[in-house]
Amino acid sequence: MISTNSTGEPALRIENLDKYYGTFHALRGINLSVKRGEKIVVCGPSGSGKSTMIRCINRLEQHNGGRIEVLGTELNDDVGNIDEIRREVGMVFQHFNLFPHMTVLENCMISPMIVRKQPRAQAEATARLYLEKVRIPEQAMKYPSQLSGGQQQRVAIARALCMQPQIMLFDEPTSALDPEMVSEVLDVMVTLASEGMTMICVTHEMGFARRVADRMIFMDGGDIVEEASPDEFFTSSRNERTRQFLSQVLGH
Amino acid sequence: MVSLLRNQKVRNALLQVLYVGSIAAMVLAGIVIARRNLADQGITSGFDFLFKSTGWDVNFSLLPATANDPYWWYFLIGIINTLFLGSVGLILATIVGTIVGLARTSSNDLARLLGRTYVDIFRNIPLILQVFFWYAIITHLPTPRSAHEAWGFLLTSRGLYIPFPNVGSAAFAAATLAVIAAIVLPAWLGRTSRLAQPIGQRRTIQFAAAAAALACAAIILAIGRMPDTPLLDFPALQGLNLRGGLRIPPEFATLAIAIAIYGGSYIAEIVRGGFKAVGTGQVEAALSLGLSPWRVFTLVRLPLALRAMLPILANQYVWLMKATTMGIAVGFTDFFMIVALTINHSGQTLEAIGILMAGFLAINLSLAAVFNRINKAIALKGNQLRG
Ligand SMILES: Nc1ncnc2c1ncn2[C@@H]1O[C@H](COP(=O)(O)OP(=O)(O)O)[C@@H](O)[C@H]1O
Ligand SMILES: [Mg+2]
Repeated sequence: MISTNSTGEPALRIENLDKYYGTFHALRGINLSVKRGEKIVVCGPSGSGKSTMIRCINRLEQHNGGRIEVLGTELNDDVGNIDEIRREVGMVFQHFNLFPHMTVLENCMISPMIVRKQPRAQAEATARLYLEKVRIPEQAMKYPSQLSGGQQQRVAIARALCMQPQIMLFDEPTSALDPEMVSEVLDVMVTLASEGMTMICVTHEMGFARRVADRMIFMDGGDIVEEASPDEFFTSSRNERTRQFLSQVLGH
Repeated sequence: MVSLLRNQKVRNALLQVLYVGSIAAMVLAGIVIARRNLADQGITSGFDFLFKSTGWDVNFSLLPATANDPYWWYFLIGIINTLFLGSVGLILATIVGTIVGLARTSSNDLARLLGRTYVDIFRNIPLILQVFFWYAIITHLPTPRSAHEAWGFLLTSRGLYIPFPNVGSAAFAAATLAVIAAIVLPAWLGRTSRLAQPIGQRRTIQFAAAAAALACAAIILAIGRMPDTPLLDFPALQGLNLRGGLRIPPEFATLAIAIAIYGGSYIAEIVRGGFKAVGTGQVEAALSLGLSPWRVFTLVRLPLALRAMLPILANQYVWLMKATTMGIAVGFTDFFMIVALTINHSGQTLEAIGILMAGFLAINLSLAAVFNRINKAIALKGNQLRG
């Protein structure tokens, strides 16, 4: 069982992580350690391996070398470990990936009931609580396709939170949204951050990064090329590629 | 007037009238000409022949049949035979198709290769050849005296003999209906929204319904059981012949196998397509929530794949129902063969073909209607399959 109160060990420790797609070396010996409650924002050009890295953390991708330890449990071929880690790590995807044949409420209740064996009433109460939190309690009985993109992404966040995870992964959660819906999703994420959730967010929303990030990670070519506090990162990065990337996303 | 003709609605209406009118005129002309020709040849048209006795026998019937029975009774027998063969064939084809289709989507290379080979072979050989092939194999099985036996089943050139409960046929039919109810009732009770009742409670209701229906079946069998006989009647050799059990005639077995194998290869492709249509995103989301691969399959992949498959599956079923007309190739008295024999013996060609077409239309329209209902009931709200 994963211990919830040990403060010493990090929430996540990645050592010399290697990942190949066939012969393509997608991750080149990555090292990263994340403390409990820490908020990490990952950015970098398209194809730099950001998705691959965070998908390795809950084993949607299998790594080929190095070591990943989540909440003190090593991620390896042991299916027990994989299950344990997936229970404690929530993930939000670029394209929401809600279950289209279930209502919003069912989307939120299904996993707690089956994986956590929660009684129905408790699962429903939790689901309604989190739907309230992402500010769409009135949509509970609708189906995902009846909602706007921003609403769907907020349901996806609520669905992940209903498992009461200790770590949340976000893979470009606002990239598929119309511009006017970006802030409603970011607001929810800011609230979540302020409540002490351990978060690893791949995003190019630099305003959000400045507000919540404890640490910025910049990836390029399958490697972490810079790791800095937001202040340092945005104002005085010494890395050429970082500065070039920033000037592109910040548009000046 | 000219401006009226330029109105799109008026134009469409006029075209419709012209279209329907010309078809009606052709049909009417056809009927008049046919009646004149038949009258010239001295053949009376009309449906009086339906009440005359046939004077010939059928080799397979679920209802009592003698040569004294009238034509209308034989048509009924034919329709029931077609429905029976069709149902057995469709159920078997669905089982075969599901297994092969899943093999084709599996991550195992060997399973994929076997599935692919199966589909390539059986989809590309015409059904009639496959019917002859299975018929040749079945009719060349050993004679009853040297039959293969396994678990009370006997494979012989005279058919497949299976153990059968010692009950009257009415009781058996009633018990069969009860067993079907045991399968259909839970699905019917489960059709309401998952949230209408608590999941646990709904499960209990479904389970109770199935159990009650099965109990009914058991009671019917117990009551209908022939006195002083064992519950199951096993086929056994007596002298030169096999006695006891239920004999499945080679013709029926041939067609059921052929439809299962041939239809299975088409259904396998539909199953594969259905699973391919399920977005990887939903599967990954389910995995990331900690659901086991089995739960991901039953809760996400299967329900979404079914929704993608059903409309195409319905077409395939209608199509396979029509494949029962292969009965005439091996001499199984399905609806089509009864009609063909009727034409031979009575000369009432037009009437018999009319009845044949009406019968198949009724069967296939009902099948399509049932599937439409199911489709509507489970359709996704909106059109988001991939999310
Ligand atoms: N399933 C895959 N098969 C092969 N190559 C892949 C696969 N997924 C990602 N890649 C490659 O790995 C690299 C990193 O991809 P990704 O992690 O998605 O980048 P990012 O999220 O930073 O845009 C890219 O070059 C991409 O083409
Ligand atoms: Mg990416």
